[in-house]
Amino acid sequence: MNALVVVAHPCTDSFTHALADAAEEGLVGAGHAVDRIDLYAAGFAAAMTRAERLAYHTDRPIVDEQVDDHARLLLAAEILVFVYPTWWSQMPAILKGWFERVMVPGVGFVFDAHGKVRPGLGHVRRLIGISTYGSPWWYVKATNDNGRRVITRALRMSCGWRARPRWYGLYAMDTATADDRQAFLERIEQRMAGV
Amino acid sequence: MRVLVVHCHPDPASFVAAMRDRAVRGLDRAGHEVRVCDLYADGFDPTMTAEERRTHKEPGVAPDLQRYADDLGWAEALVLVYPTWWSGFPAMLKGWVDRVWVAGVAWELPDGASRIRPRLTNIRRIVAITSHGSSKLVNALEGETGKRTMTRSLRLMCSWRTRTTWCAAYGIDTRDAAEREEYLDRVESTTARLR
Repeated sequence: MNALVVVAHPCTDSFTHALADAAEEGLVGAGHAVDRIDLYAAGFAAAMTRAERLAYHTDRPIVDEQVDDHARLLLAAEILVFVYPTWWSQMPAILKGWFERVMVPGVGFVFDAHGKVRPGLGHVRRLIGISTYGSPWWYVKATNDNGRRVITRALRMSCGWRARPRWYGLYAMDTATADDRQAFLERIEQRMAGV
Repeated sequence: MRVLVVHCHPDPASFVAAMRDRAVRGLDRAGHEVRVCDLYADGFDPTMTAEERRTHKEPGVAPDLQRYADDLGWAEALVLVYPTWWSGFPAMLKGWVDRVWVAGVAWELPDGASRIRPRLTNIRRIVAITSHGSSKLVNALEGETGKRTMTRSLRLMCSWRTRTTWCAAYGIDTRDAAEREEYLDRVESTTARLR
């Protein structure tokens, strides 16, 4: 299957990037074709522009070449993998902006004749989130784990009910030992190899 | 009361801008001292840099963001006016949290302490004024991530007595002019009642 790995972390030597590498290795090992979007490396602009907002409800909501390229990768992907650090219980702004600018009407979803939202990503069969958290598991739950919800609920609704969401989190990252991190990396590679 | 209004929408002629104007009118009527921060008009960059990430445990914002930190320290009430996109804050507003609610501004980790401590105890009230394209039911299923970011993640950095108010319009895409006007009246009366 075609897989798209979207990674969001400002530091290239981050644990998040190591996780993306492990995920990619696992997927490639399982015979999937993997594309990767590194949002920081691509210099992706997080904020939806005025031009994009005004075009949002027209037939051509994408006005940017890079966004168009990313939308094409998204529309070809059957496996979607997001790798990011959770900040303020949410995805980093750059990834949230990717949702807003790339998953526009005609890509992420379509409006039917009554103005209701219908799924646009019916071709996506696996929806996978991999995230690190500074906070312990109970604090993440108490603050609603909002980033996870955006992916496993809001985005899942756009994928249709065939898509199975999977979530992998490393909690209390700040106090995790080198062994904990290594074990998590191995777990990610193993699980991705099983997709 | 000193009230900081944070406005986030790319189009100055949007319905959200009308919501902000009515919110400010309500605050003026009640005699509050108001500062408006318009993130798009400021050209705020919502993307946390690698340098900020590397030094995120050291107190203080990036030098060009000092006035945003000062505004937070000045405010007794915080009013957020934004459109709900993908069930939560737009990337621009999320980036304001990522980059301004940092160590030494929103929280601190004193030597020897195992948990962070809130620093924005000056903020007694938080109000979110937001429009949703989809229905209340869909947003409930998605987990209301913007609402929880406000009532949980942000509130935890304020005082334990800080109260929150949720003033939302659902299904805005299918509302007629009279219903929109009704909502704007609700926005104004909500901020006029702020104590």
